[in-house]
Amino acid sequence: MSWLKRKSVLIPIDFSELSYQALGPAKELVEDVSALKLIHVLSPLHPADPAAMWDTLSDDDRKQKVKAFTHDKLGEMGHGELPIEVVIGDPTSKIVDYAQEIDADLIVMPSHGRKGVKRFLIGSIAEQVVRLSHCPVLILK
Amino acid sequence: MKKPMFRLKHYLYAFAFLLIFLPQVAFAQEDAAPGGFLGSIEAGVQSVVDVLNLIFYFKIGGENGMPFIVLWLVVGAIFFTFRLKFINVRAFKHAIDVVRGKYDSDEDEGDVSHFQALAAALSGTVGIGNIAGVAIAIRLGGPGAAFWMTMAGFLGMSSKFAECTLGQKYRVIKPDGTVGGGPMYYLSRGLSAMGLAPVGKALAVIFAVFCAIGSLGIGNMFQANQAFAAVSNVLPFLSSLSWLFGIVLALVVGLVILGGIERIGAVAGVLVPAMAVIYALACLWVMLVKLPEVPGAIGTIIATAFNPEAVAGGAVGAIVIGFQRAAFSNEAGLGSAAIAHSAAKTDEPVREGIVALLEPFIDTMFICNLTAIVIVLTGVYADPTAADLNGAQLSAASFETVIGWFPYVIAVAGFLFALSTMISWSYYGQQSWAYLFGDGTVNIYKGIFLFCVFVGSVVNLGPILDFSDIMALAMSLPNLLGCFLMSGLIARELASYMARLKSGEMLPEPQLAQETVLRR
Repeated sequence: MSWLKRKSVLIPIDFSELSYQALGPAKELVEDVSALKLIHVLSPLHPADPAAMWDTLSDDDRKQKVKAFTHDKLGEMGHGELPIEVVIGDPTSKIVDYAQEIDADLIVMPSHGRKGVKRFLIGSIAEQVVRLSHCPVLILK
Repeated sequence: MKKPMFRLKHYLYAFAFLLIFLPQVAFAQEDAAPGGFLGSIEAGVQSVVDVLNLIFYFKIGGENGMPFIVLWLVVGAIFFTFRLKFINVRAFKHAIDVVRGKYDSDEDEGDVSHFQALAAALSGTVGIGNIAGVAIAIRLGGPGAAFWMTMAGFLGMSSKFAECTLGQKYRVIKPDGTVGGGPMYYLSRGLSAMGLAPVGKALAVIFAVFCAIGSLGIGNMFQANQAFAAVSNVLPFLSSLSWLFGIVLALVVGLVILGGIERIGAVAGVLVPAMAVIYALACLWVMLVKLPEVPGAIGTIIATAFNPEAVAGGAVGAIVIGFQRAAFSNEAGLGSAAIAHSAAKTDEPVREGIVALLEPFIDTMFICNLTAIVIVLTGVYADPTAADLNGAQLSAASFETVIGWFPYVIAVAGFLFALSTMISWSYYGQQSWAYLFGDGTVNIYKGIFLFCVFVGSVVNLGPILDFSDIMALAMSLPNLLGCFLMSGLIARELASYMARLKSGEMLPEPQLAQETVLRR
């Protein structure tokens, strides 16, 4: 069945408990874990955030910290080393752009199952990714 | 998460939306407004105020009694002052030591130093309220209201300590190193640690709703309104062009909070302390010029505090106005400043709380008091020909009697104060919004915020002030309730901190060594 295996799978991760759930199923879809890539999208700092006001936390610092955090967290969960891309901006467009950039043939993400007003305001990032992605998207329920 | 909690949350969201969209609905209903588009905006704001008045502003003790929400704030400030054994007095010197960096350690978690955190919080508190708010207090409550403002600043130091200690204790350090803090976090996490998780969660959501809406008043429309008053005071041709001013101001704020042009924010951040110093020096100059009359002015302030004439509600009226304007200016009890203070680099929550108690001191006991003395000293407030002056224009007229060109400085300083306060409050509001609806939707909040900058510029002071007051004070409801519930914890933390401070173990190594040598 190896012809069914994917060569490049992107997993957007937001560090919620739910978002790690995608790692398990994604691993089963690839021949080797090296085909897995993670992405985390940070929102820009508000200019009045004390760290921005005093310029004590640069964008590069933030990215480095996220990478270090991911390294520790994945190690803790027994997933080993996985490469993560950290970018700043709007989650949907950054995920879709990066998937194109690495020529991903699948995106795996959980649906957060937002309800009520939150759903009305953002729908869900998963939904938007499905609409805009160039490749298939597997949404976990 | 449990089902009933979800329902409560939905209800609160619905409430938030009702308040946000109420003005639009109300446009159609009012007919007494001065007409036109601007008139209908004003009518809209007024009808929101009427609803809020019913909810929060009912008076306890009859017609001339104390509004519930003001009483709540007064009781809170007195409670924490006694519960924490006059922390506002006994920790004052230590606060200055900490701000000077004596206890800074790079190894502690957090983003900025104690000094930087205090400065960031101050850029939100030192707003045009320090110039205009005092004038409003004296106009409504007589010179005695200034005495009660000072008193409120003094007692408010204790509530500020309590909330910022909690903010620091229950902050969350996110994977990217940024800090999430403030009442949303300490109400939910702190009360949940006490086994009151549902209460904590509910209070956190209520706070976030009030703060997101409140930021549109105290930190936005009021600032825009008084910035326009100060600027149009020296550029009279602008007075019929409030819409133009509103658009330009919204554009400038928008460039900073939407466009990410941080330079404007940084420039305002540098100019604001400079302006504050210039302003304070000018106040001292006026006092110097009229030195012989200064004791008389201070005497008037104190005498009328207890025996006000011609103030609606008598002494209680003066107290209400004083506390209200003070809380509005220094944010003590509202919880907002805890959002900024939680970014400080420290592993001692109490230490940042102690730094925070300097805020009401600088803002209210120092800057507001200077304004008050100048206004009383020059006597413009009592001049019948100036009876229609209020807010920033009354302050400007007072200075003008001594320093002819000073209204220009007030226009520039007021504009910058207002700008930096609006930027800071958009951060507080955005954090609250993000707590409710997630990071992904903050642009909706920013859009509402910018629209309100415009509204604030074109609407009269009256309804703007009422809306801003009620929503700002409403924030103290969930915030102080949570602080009351956690006051035992705050007192224990404080006692432990003070004991360790006294033993000398907190001083950095070299100084400790030096002291032992000296003792021998």
